[in-house]
Amino acid sequence: MQTFITKSQTTQDIIKGLELSKNLFVSSIIIGEPHTGKKSLLRQIFTDTTIISAKDKIQLESTLESCDEIIITDFELLDNISKYDLSNKKIIATANYIHNQQLIDDTFAFIYHMLPLKDRKDDVKLLASHYLECAKKDLGLNTNIDINKIDLDLSNNTKSLKQSIYRYVMRQNMNIDDIKSAIYEYIYQNLEGKNGYKEHLHIYEEPLLNAGLSKYKSQLKLSSILGINRNTLRKKILEHKIDA
Amino acid sequence: MLDINFQSFIDSDNSPFVLFDSSAKVLYLNSSAEILFGYVTPQEIYDLALQNAPLSFGYHTTNIELSFDSFSFYAITVGYENDEQIYIRLYNTPRIKQQNKLDKSRLITTDINLLLEANLALFKTKNQAKIHLIADLDIPNFKLNQNQFSKLLRKILDSFLNAKEIEITLKFLVGEHIIIDNKRHGVIQLLIKSTHRDCSNDDDIYTLAQKSCCNVSLKENRTSIEIPLMID
Repeated sequence: MQTFITKSQTTQDIIKGLELSKNLFVSSIIIGEPHTGKKSLLRQIFTDTTIISAKDKIQLESTLESCDEIIITDFELLDNISKYDLSNKKIIATANYIHNQQLIDDTFAFIYHMLPLKDRKDDVKLLASHYLECAKKDLGLNTNIDINKIDLDLSNNTKSLKQSIYRYVMRQNMNIDDIKSAIYEYIYQNLEGKNGYKEHLHIYEEPLLNAGLSKYKSQLKLSSILGINRNTLRKKILEHKIDA
Repeated sequence: MLDINFQSFIDSDNSPFVLFDSSAKVLYLNSSAEILFGYVTPQEIYDLALQNAPLSFGYHTTNIELSFDSFSFYAITVGYENDEQIYIRLYNTPRIKQQNKLDKSRLITTDINLLLEANLALFKTKNQAKIHLIADLDIPNFKLNQNQFSKLLRKILDSFLNAKEIEITLKFLVGEHIIIDNKRHGVIQLLIKSTHRDCSNDDDIYTLAQKSCCNVSLKENRTSIEIPLMID
């Protein structure tokens, strides 16, 4: 089974609290942004406990009738809570946000707050390395990739982090036919109107100018490499609002 | 006139009684005073006796509100019949009887040290305070509504959220008891101390303590909970 990856002291304290409460009849909730690892954590600790999303009200009702211990995800979606008797159950829950502070306070003895990835710098490094290895394995890539060159996206926690790494690894794995094929797919879906040539030219020109400027540092040198006039290059740079 | 020896009666009296000599040395104390001296020095009680002594030989009772840790008193009687000895009796403030009917079906045999450790792990996710924990690992497992009590602990610990250093002591209180449903139970005391405390949730703490049949004492910089040791 996959071990929950963390170096964050706060997350380790949450794990410790949950591990200790495994043998206690107490209700716990982890509150935090989506994709911060709340559900994975509970799955790892409470291996035999039934997990139900509050989205699935019918299933939730029948599980509450038959189980004394239950994991409820998306707890914030649970409306009309008075119809459920949670007081004599061991409820372990996750919520993306606090929808009713009093309800949370009254229902749960243990209220944990999972930090977003942007506040868990050590975890970002660990997870990024983990996802990079997974991506290389999944995409059959053996070359070394410098993780520091990847623009890690933490806007949607692990989900966007994983996406940004897979996208980067995929790009490293592309050959000229893959690139042509990707551009073909894009243009095929988006080409319309009366000015299609000019509107899609940036797909070629922007990466060309960005890569050239990064590689040769000087506009003079780049104009010579590209075989175009320096003024034309300058005009293109301004046109595409490239930071040169 | 009848000559009656009241010593055995005083020995078992629930209110502390102490006899001092003129140099503040304790000549006699009953069992209740013995427990009290775990929380206050004999010198403090002696000074209290001198301050409230009658002007001449005899006895004098003063209504005075006193509290030492979780002990509170509403009056004292100080007396002396010669210049060599002085005695003091402190009158216990009656405790409010637990009104809550305890739901025994939700009581679970509990390792209080484990429950405390889980609560401290939660607290540490919110606060980086240095915690000094003195726990008595010999406390036997006893019955507790774990969820209810943990809510109380969370509220109490949260009142120390801004503390930099916290001292927590968990111990068995010798000679003390809590009566629930006419049954005497021993007492486990959880004492949490720091430099200051947030008092804004004190009403919630009192309510939750009552639901768990615990006595709680809230001071400016410390909280003490007396937990009934319900073995059966």
